[in-house]
Amino acid sequence: MMIFPGCEDWLETLPPDGLVKEEYWQNKEDVESTLMGAYQGFANMDELLFLYGELRADMIVEDNNMVQDERLVKNGDIFPDNKMCDWSPFYEIINYCNNVIEYAPAVMDNDPTFTEFDMEGYRSEAKALRALAYFYLVRVFNDVPLVTEPSDNDDVDFFLTKTDGDTILTRMKEDLKDARLKLRNDYGNENENRGRITQSAADAILADICLWNFEYEESLVYLNNIINSGRYFLQPTIRWFEIYNPGNTYEGIFELQFNQQNNQGNTLYRNTYQRDYYQASLYAREILLPELSGENVRGKGSISTESIGYKVWKYCGGAPDQRTLRPGSSNRSANWIMYRYADILLMKAEALSQLGQYEEALGLINDIRTRALMPPAEIAFTAEDFEEAILLERAKELAYEGKRWFDLMRMGRRNNYANKEKLIEIIIENVSSTRRLILASKLTDPNGWYYPVKDTEIESNPNIEQNPYYEN
Amino acid sequence: MEQSIRNLLIVSIIFLFCGFEAAGQFVVRGTVTEKGNDMSLIGVTVVEYDENGRILKGSITDPNGNFTIKASGPDAELHFSYVGYDSKTVPVNGRSQINVELVPTSTEIEEVVVTAETDSDPLTGVSLRDRTTATSKVNMDDLQDISSVSVDGALQGQVSGLDIMSSGSPGSGSSIVIRGLGSLGNSNPLIVVNGIAQNITPDPDFNFAGSDQEDIGQLLNIAPQDIKSIEVLKDAASTAVWGSKGADGVLLIETYRGEQGETKFNYRYKFTHKREPDPIPMLNGDEYITMQLEEWHNAQGIFEVPDEIAYNTDFVDFYNYSANTDWIDAVTQPGLSHDHYFKASGGGEKTAFFVSLNAANEKGTTINEGFDRLTTRINLDYELSKNLKFTVFFDYTNSHRDGNYMFRFDIDNDNRRDRVNLRRMAYMKAPNMSIWERDETGELTGEYFTPIESYQGRGDLYFNPVAIGNLSDNDMDKNIFQNSYQINYRITKWMHFIETISFQYDNQKNFTFLPYTAIGTDWLDGEVNQAGETQKNSSRISSRSQLIMTPIVTSVHSLTMTLLGQISQNQSRFSRFVGRNGPSLQITDPSAAPQIAGMNSQSFDRRSLGSMFSVNYKYRDKYLLSAIVRGDASSSFGENRRWGVFPSFSVGWRFSNEPFLEEMNFINNGMLRAGYGQTGKEPRNPYDRFGLFENANPSQYIFNDVIIPTQIELSNLKWQTVESWNLGLELAMFKRRVNISADVYNKVTKDILWRNYDIPSSSGFNRLAWFNGGQLQNQGWEASARITAIRMEDLRVSLSFNIARNRNSFLEFPDNFNNLVGTDIGNGVYPRMAQIGQPIGSFYGFNYLGVYSTPEDAYALDEEGNVRIDANGDPIPMRYANGYEFTAGDAIYEDVNKDGVINLNDVVYLGDSNPDYTGGFGINTKWRQLSLSAHFLYRTGFDIVNEIASQTEGMLDKNNQSKAVLSRWRKEGDDFEGMLPRAYLDHPANNLGSSRYVESGSFLRLNNLSLSYTFDPSIASKLRVDNLELGANLRKIWTLTGYSGQDPEISQRIGDDPFWFGTDNGMTPPPMVFSGFLNLSF
Repeated sequence: MMIFPGCEDWLETLPPDGLVKEEYWQNKEDVESTLMGAYQGFANMDELLFLYGELRADMIVEDNNMVQDERLVKNGDIFPDNKMCDWSPFYEIINYCNNVIEYAPAVMDNDPTFTEFDMEGYRSEAKALRALAYFYLVRVFNDVPLVTEPSDNDDVDFFLTKTDGDTILTRMKEDLKDARLKLRNDYGNENENRGRITQSAADAILADICLWNFEYEESLVYLNNIINSGRYFLQPTIRWFEIYNPGNTYEGIFELQFNQQNNQGNTLYRNTYQRDYYQASLYAREILLPELSGENVRGKGSISTESIGYKVWKYCGGAPDQRTLRPGSSNRSANWIMYRYADILLMKAEALSQLGQYEEALGLINDIRTRALMPPAEIAFTAEDFEEAILLERAKELAYEGKRWFDLMRMGRRNNYANKEKLIEIIIENVSSTRRLILASKLTDPNGWYYPVKDTEIESNPNIEQNPYYEN
Repeated sequence: MEQSIRNLLIVSIIFLFCGFEAAGQFVVRGTVTEKGNDMSLIGVTVVEYDENGRILKGSITDPNGNFTIKASGPDAELHFSYVGYDSKTVPVNGRSQINVELVPTSTEIEEVVVTAETDSDPLTGVSLRDRTTATSKVNMDDLQDISSVSVDGALQGQVSGLDIMSSGSPGSGSSIVIRGLGSLGNSNPLIVVNGIAQNITPDPDFNFAGSDQEDIGQLLNIAPQDIKSIEVLKDAASTAVWGSKGADGVLLIETYRGEQGETKFNYRYKFTHKREPDPIPMLNGDEYITMQLEEWHNAQGIFEVPDEIAYNTDFVDFYNYSANTDWIDAVTQPGLSHDHYFKASGGGEKTAFFVSLNAANEKGTTINEGFDRLTTRINLDYELSKNLKFTVFFDYTNSHRDGNYMFRFDIDNDNRRDRVNLRRMAYMKAPNMSIWERDETGELTGEYFTPIESYQGRGDLYFNPVAIGNLSDNDMDKNIFQNSYQINYRITKWMHFIETISFQYDNQKNFTFLPYTAIGTDWLDGEVNQAGETQKNSSRISSRSQLIMTPIVTSVHSLTMTLLGQISQNQSRFSRFVGRNGPSLQITDPSAAPQIAGMNSQSFDRRSLGSMFSVNYKYRDKYLLSAIVRGDASSSFGENRRWGVFPSFSVGWRFSNEPFLEEMNFINNGMLRAGYGQTGKEPRNPYDRFGLFENANPSQYIFNDVIIPTQIELSNLKWQTVESWNLGLELAMFKRRVNISADVYNKVTKDILWRNYDIPSSSGFNRLAWFNGGQLQNQGWEASARITAIRMEDLRVSLSFNIARNRNSFLEFPDNFNNLVGTDIGNGVYPRMAQIGQPIGSFYGFNYLGVYSTPEDAYALDEEGNVRIDANGDPIPMRYANGYEFTAGDAIYEDVNKDGVINLNDVVYLGDSNPDYTGGFGINTKWRQLSLSAHFLYRTGFDIVNEIASQTEGMLDKNNQSKAVLSRWRKEGDDFEGMLPRAYLDHPANNLGSSRYVESGSFLRLNNLSLSYTFDPSIASKLRVDNLELGANLRKIWTLTGYSGQDPEISQRIGDDPFWFGTDNGMTPPPMVFSGFLNLSF
């Protein structure tokens, strides 16, 4: 030590192929680039978003090449070693968001062009994306660890316990309410206006959370914000298919952007079109095949014909003949639609009907049906009948958009699990007849509607308790 | 670089010829004998100095004690010196014949003058005899006859506490562990050649080929004949001086140096034949088909028989699927190697030189495996004056390895992907498939049979091993170049300054090519004509300055102090490029391929500083004391924790010099020593400590760049510290005919460095690059003895024995430590866990109890031993965790908790991969011109998971199985000795990780047997040579073991993680070696 004075600098070697933390957070581009990591995190998991929304529900069944772990979920054989129980993709996004939220303010000191308005905008996007990630986590796993600080140093306590799902959602609502005031509605181009979080996107997430919590009146506030903003319309019937491909229609509120040409392709094209992972279930065919249901718009756009195996047809640029791809459609460019205007209208119908405002609700449902060239619905003015009708309408309109399972969960949880049996019936439809009884009795415990925590997570974190349904 | 190599060569050659320039005038001849008897002394140094103390002329005495020296004139003075004798200066006075008698020193080697020569520690300058630490030294003159291409092979079983496991593939290195696993990850010792630390451990963790130990091997590429001695430093008090890299032990290797005197030449040729141990006998095609049919039937009842196993002559591939191929035999070949070694050494009055050249060519025992190596070495000593000496070491190694393409193979659909080598595939491959393709009429088409989809599965997974062996490439070229300069300046009589500067450069190039003709796959598949090239360059520049002071050297007190400073910089660059779908078999350059399959590069710059101060004090040659403090700084740590300070001290008591033991004069030397020391270890990758932000993939979202955090900053990263105690005894008795050395030690590793430490993924990451925590202990003892039983004119017999015992265990885990990694159960899976007090390498599994003969046997029993009954009163069969109900023909596992279900709760401790005792013993005899030596090697008390057996006796997939499965359960009531479970396709539980495949690996092996004959000098001189020797050498020809696999000396990477355990996974086992050699000196 005494022999080498001044050698400390010589020992400080920096990696050549990445930026170290001390060199990062220097300008607004750094903040934006990491924020984009959160969007891309969601985009990279399009397949998972699809699976969480559809796998346990009743719209797909397995095809020849279904991945083993997914097949197990489908059959109700969920064990903690299933890769579907891996929540890490969500937490990666959360970590990116936490980084942005934590470090963006200090960047203003280094970059004079970084205004407070920009800074708050980026942080608000990060807060909204973080809220969306937690909303998924709570719906899929119920109680999960609540991480709100960036994991950027080994001083951080990584070994967190679970936080109650309701507490998390309350916190996320607060974040969203704060964020929506600072969010932009215009990023200067269509791709970003649909592909990034706007004020309306934050409203959509908020409304969805409120609906999940059965806070109908609050939900209506945010839904009306979107509707009254005047920025979104239902796509005309004749151009219905454009919602998915090329996407970014007037109907889109928040869509994860894919662009094959830009080397940002989706996974769903491969999984739904190229590989025989899954196909439309009997129920889906019943409600969507034009010859069975008369759904000439939505049905033809949602599943293919028998000749090519009842494929999920929304993400491959399919032509209305349900067999071939539309010329010029770019294979992996279909967006993943998180929220679109039709979804908002149906959410509103649900909230209204639960509040007893049947007439207005019926009008919204029929707006959607009219666009799909379907005759107006006739629904008895009871909450139950409306619930059923809206569930069906959502299944048709939002088929394979990762909504179905969460819609069913909402139904099963409503009014203190009054409709529990209906949900259980739907789940056990998927399993072999001999196992139905056993599974049905086990699923009376609603903990079984959530996924277990992955075994590796339990092993690496002694403070995490397994979902009691899977303990034994 | 090439330019500088050339320049260096020129410089070296100039130095080389400096030695030959002088020619004297006055020739003096004579004989040197011991005073009092006429025993002539061999190797006495005879020198003439000028007035400045520069050596003018020099010579040494020959085997008859004769010398010839060309003195500068009749007035010259000759200086005679010999270790163990008093030096003598004799004036020539015009005589041409001088006979000299030397007097033995009263106490043996009383004071060795500190010169940092080979017989003293290169760093502290303390003589070996006065070391108070645990070291073992092997003089290679004792090992001359051992026929081994590399040094580790020669060392195996020779040193206590050194555990070497060799691999059979040519040119691949061995794993070497000194005193057990002290740290996780790489526990290889530091290798020091001629006082210069070698860059041998593969540089920072290049992630490519994480599981391939062959590339990491290639250690110790030094011609064995160059090596004069190897010393193993074992305890922290001895390794402390080497700093952090020596934390896992140090191997000090000294090569021969030139000596003044006549130039000597030596040539040695060795021819070697290698043979694989007998392979596991496998089913032939017909037996295989029968077993497959049974598997299908047991699993599915009535089934549609696949064409491949249906003996259907109408099937288009009938002839291709009705062979009886012995795949193992088809990939095995006799190994042959030729080894030429030439050396020359000598010296004039100023310069001494040693030059060697070694060319080895080896053909492995698996087809298309081979190894070529060319090594040269030049050692030059140039005495500028009596006070200034300049030394140059230069060596260069060029090697080429021919290997076989390794596939990534999905073993059990469990996403566990592993590399499969040829030999392993040869064991798996269906024997009813033919090597060569035949058409539907049975005519050979001239192509290898490589279907895209075979009965077993995809053609690129179940490849044709013969086709891959003969057609694919996986070659490696390596150039290692090293050049060191040392200046030794005697400032005053008691103070030396030594400066050593060393440059090492290492280039490694890997080339792989997989032609489409070698695999069955679709033309568009990514593996078709895949060519890959990997380049890795690393360079290391280090310098070391030493000031060695011996202010007090009297017969009462002796004090040596050393101050040392050291700087080193390691740089490496790695790049890899893979292209695929090349248009032709002739175009094997990856850059010519139309598609890029992968490209990556990495570079590193690692720097370190070290400083050390040591004090050695000796009182009356009885009490010895040594204290060292070493400070190390590394660029792997942040500023606040960069320096580690590691003290050590040791004491010795040479009780044989005490007056009260004077009576017992049979004790020639006896010393008790005790030492304590600390050493530190740093993470190798200097960039792991940074919080990193990198481009994501895809690199944009919409139009915006995406940069994400990819690595967590480690501000708590610190040195891993090893604290060790050592107590030892050295004893030489009966005129030094019995030499005994024994040590006990306790080594505790603190703040263990965990690589890729698991953290909860809720953090957004899965791991920390490094984490310090927990404690690991290694305790043990070791002893060795060398006995010269007979020392007569015509007959000499000496015996050697060594034994070591080490036990490692975790003392403490870090907080929140995940000690249950891999609690999966399943076929072939051993749950892994680490436990306090249990050694690394423990493994767990089910207790296998045999086979259920009838369905009734498979009923589950409760605690009282009664059959469990369900609600209807029917008996409940034993169930597996996934609900499968066991029945007749299934494996029985112990239901430890008697709950009627075989699940994780029934997992028990099965064994430990660490040996209880390791060591060797041997005998050397010499009778007249004939010498015979035999060396045995043993390792006892460790368990091996015989993974090869698990794969060849499971009968639940479409892989070939061993002949053992012929005694399987076939029908209800079958019950006989050695019965295996039934064949059953995809059985969920018949082959669980269980005691069934755990075997003791203990073995005793005749590692080396050699016989040589030295021709009588009279015959040799007729052939105009000084010495002519012929010999034969046999290695690993006999093994005593209960292990049923091919070889209990399994090749494996050690201690990658705390859950490691030893499995025999079918790497090429060490072959039996038969060699003959010829040795000529002139």
